[in-house]
Amino acid sequence: MNNLTSSSSPDSNHRSTSLPAWMRDAGPASGPAWRSGVRSKNSAVQRTIEGLAAALITGVFSEKIASRPGRLQKMDPRAKTVSLLGLLLIAALVRQPLVLLALYAVTLAAARASLVSLRFFIKRVWLFIPIFAGLIVLPSIFNVVKAGDPLITIWNFGHEVRLGPWSLGSSIAITKQGLTGASILILRVAVSVSLTVLLAITTRWSDLLKALRVFFAPRIFILILSMTYRYIFLLLDIAAEMFTARRSRMAGPASAREDRRFAAASMGTLLGKSHALSEEVYAAMISRGYRGEALTLSKFHMRRPDWLLALAAAATGAAAIGADRLLG
Amino acid sequence: MHIPDGYISPQTAGGLWALMVPVWYAAGNKVKRTLQARQAPLVAIGAAFAFVIMMFNVPVPGGTSAHAVGGTLVAVVLGPWAAVISVSVALVIQALFFGDGGILAIGANCFNMAFALPVGGYYIYRLVAARSPLGGARRWLGAGIGAYAGVNISAFLTATEIGIQPGLFHTASGTALYSPYGLSQTIPAMMLVHLTAIGFIEFAVTALAVVYLQRGHQELLARGPAAGGGFRIKPFIIGLLLALIFVPLGTIASATAWGEWSPDQIRQRLGFVPNGMSRFAGLWQGIIPHYGAGGNFWSSAPGYLLSTVLGLAAALGLALLIVKLIRMAGRHE
Amino acid sequence: MAKNVFEVKTVSYRYQDAAGLDGVSFVVAAGEKVALLGANGAGKSTILKILDGLIFPDKGTVVAFGENLTEPALNDEGFATAFRRRVGFVFQNSDAQLFSPSVWEEIAFGPLHLGLDPAQIRSRVEDTMHILGITHLKERPPYHLSGGEKKKVALASVLAINPAVLLLDEPSAGLDPKTEEFLIRLIGDLSRAGKTVITATQDLGIVPQIASRAIVLGEDHRLSGEGAAVDVLADEELLREANLVHHHAHAHNGTEHFHPHSHVEEHDHH
Repeated sequence: MNNLTSSSSPDSNHRSTSLPAWMRDAGPASGPAWRSGVRSKNSAVQRTIEGLAAALITGVFSEKIASRPGRLQKMDPRAKTVSLLGLLLIAALVRQPLVLLALYAVTLAAARASLVSLRFFIKRVWLFIPIFAGLIVLPSIFNVVKAGDPLITIWNFGHEVRLGPWSLGSSIAITKQGLTGASILILRVAVSVSLTVLLAITTRWSDLLKALRVFFAPRIFILILSMTYRYIFLLLDIAAEMFTARRSRMAGPASAREDRRFAAASMGTLLGKSHALSEEVYAAMISRGYRGEALTLSKFHMRRPDWLLALAAAATGAAAIGADRLLG
Repeated sequence: MHIPDGYISPQTAGGLWALMVPVWYAAGNKVKRTLQARQAPLVAIGAAFAFVIMMFNVPVPGGTSAHAVGGTLVAVVLGPWAAVISVSVALVIQALFFGDGGILAIGANCFNMAFALPVGGYYIYRLVAARSPLGGARRWLGAGIGAYAGVNISAFLTATEIGIQPGLFHTASGTALYSPYGLSQTIPAMMLVHLTAIGFIEFAVTALAVVYLQRGHQELLARGPAAGGGFRIKPFIIGLLLALIFVPLGTIASATAWGEWSPDQIRQRLGFVPNGMSRFAGLWQGIIPHYGAGGNFWSSAPGYLLSTVLGLAAALGLALLIVKLIRMAGRHE
Repeated sequence: MAKNVFEVKTVSYRYQDAAGLDGVSFVVAAGEKVALLGANGAGKSTILKILDGLIFPDKGTVVAFGENLTEPALNDEGFATAFRRRVGFVFQNSDAQLFSPSVWEEIAFGPLHLGLDPAQIRSRVEDTMHILGITHLKERPPYHLSGGEKKKVALASVLAINPAVLLLDEPSAGLDPKTEEFLIRLIGDLSRAGKTVITATQDLGIVPQIASRAIVLGEDHRLSGEGAAVDVLADEELLREANLVHHHAHAHNGTEHFHPHSHVEEHDHH
């Protein structure tokens, strides 16, 4: 048999598939130096892998915090969702930096009571999201970008400086309005993100979905939302695998052109897989009696602590609005 | 392009929520009718797909990289209405769970990225692709042009929503309560990036993905129109025009509801808004002479609306011209 | 109950670009343990999907519980509910089967959508979790579970419906030995309880334990043989033709010999 002749070497008595000659070589045991001195840049592929991994970890980690026996975790998800979103709206309406700062302190206290490490909480809120808010808002504190009453003059030209048709004024200064506006924006974003993060990490996703029904979200929307969340993790896995395989095959940095091609091909592959998957999921749903109508079993009860939370949130909101009016 | 909470006032955010509710309702009905029981898995996994591809980094010329939105691609495959729901769901999850984009701003983000982007992108795709064969060049070209236009429409809306904030919402001393930058700053900043870089990324990625589908999964390209119903351009143009007019109008109306300013004051404040546009006023003077005596017409509310409409008309005219040229080129083939 | 659960008559099915089944006929009696054998792509999954009324044959007929299983019949809500309560399908891909946000909801999905009352649903979910030993996973999202746990949840989600007929698609694929053993015992228990169990597999090693009868699909998408499981497993030629067994070389004291090998045969390494 052909297979016999192909595995004629004395130490290979396993009848394997007939490998071509170039593959029947274990490779050099010690080769030339692996390091070529060229370090590949932090490529788009690498950044995508990191992003996908971060999202996967966030999902697992949140589920972990949600199962801790903290204050917010014990609450009825509906009471919690209404309370935290109510505070979110309050945070959007107030106009005093001090009030926003107080609201921020409230979110820190709530995180502490929910057994969320403050280090993690503050890092999650400040490091990832408002850093952009901070950078973007920075230019607006200067009078050259936005007019206002100068607070700290950085440079005085003594005369009006013109740049083509635009006037830059006679000095560069940080303005009172700019500084206040910037601090309002940054604090507002921080409070908003803190409240969102609190809701997300202290609530199991399945409970959060049920809580959304309080806001008249249709059942079919909630079913779709729940399935989306579930399949995000599967597709993230598949995508991470594709990009990791790509990285392992790259010798040195790929050109941007190739990377774009790869991103597009990955999208196409993922789309094909997603489509096949959706057909299969559809069959699995139909098989268990689904007919296009989403049904749910509610198992929530508002208890005393839930009413107390709602009350506390309402009181905080009222106090914030009151203080805001008083200060303003 | 995700607007975080804090950047826009609750009034603007609420107005856009109110605008999105009927859109979701209509899209939901359309999807239910065309996909029936299949809608849940198809739309859900479409949303998961939209979510995941928004995380792909695509290299931008100049060494950095950007995220593609991919909404037009979703619309090409699932049809525009299913895409509205899918991308909305993806955005809701990003906001609720990953803190990407605000919760109050979900209405705004969905309006920009889940409605204007896929629907605009899809109809331009249909305009270019028309009844050309599924494997033909006009398919990927159309998807690419649609994606370019879609992401720019979306960027323009985002810039508008953020840009009207300082004029409408500030304290007596002029401290901005939300985003501090006016339209004259947000529109050039956003459009410059999107017209010159991100739009082309979106074009390249979407077109290449469609080419990929043409080779291996042509049946996926055939599904879109079936799920989207017949192709009518008129309601789309009218809808887009209305939307562009009513977004700023809606925010003005909600500002009145807030009860802080009398309409007179708002008109004054609105003067704030198009100040940036007055720079371009000279450009228009030759075209529209004598638009009223005294004051700067472009600084008034009607002037602002007119400039929006004119800008949109110019953009659409350009798009139609391109389509016409492509069709002529196609006929010569 | 000597009635037939399924009567499949000359069924053919074509996918867009490939054949799925070609003129397949067989009968499954109530309470039987049947193994559906065939290589990858022979059409095992296609048969199961047809038996579950998820796809419909291009040619031929399927009779289930004495009634024609057709698309119009399943569009009737009464018939569909009755049929889906009697037939449960465990998919090969647990990821496709587990779409709910928590294990509890996953198991409740079937009973809920098949119209059971809430009290009954709750007790069924609890009982099913108990017999499968997954009660501790109750609140967990199914997608963060291990492969074995996923398979158990998938089984639970179907068993909670308490179907008379179970369709299992490659249930042992990718399972660790312990979970596989558990699965085999479970199939035995269900069969003794009078359920009909139809298992599609290419893992010949588990066939004697999970089936008394075997149906073999050839790579030509036709039925290439059927009979008592032990007889089919002994029919080397049939199995080789269906690409279910392969020659396997064994090294013995430096000399080579090979004989047809499958995972079921008892090897006496002489």
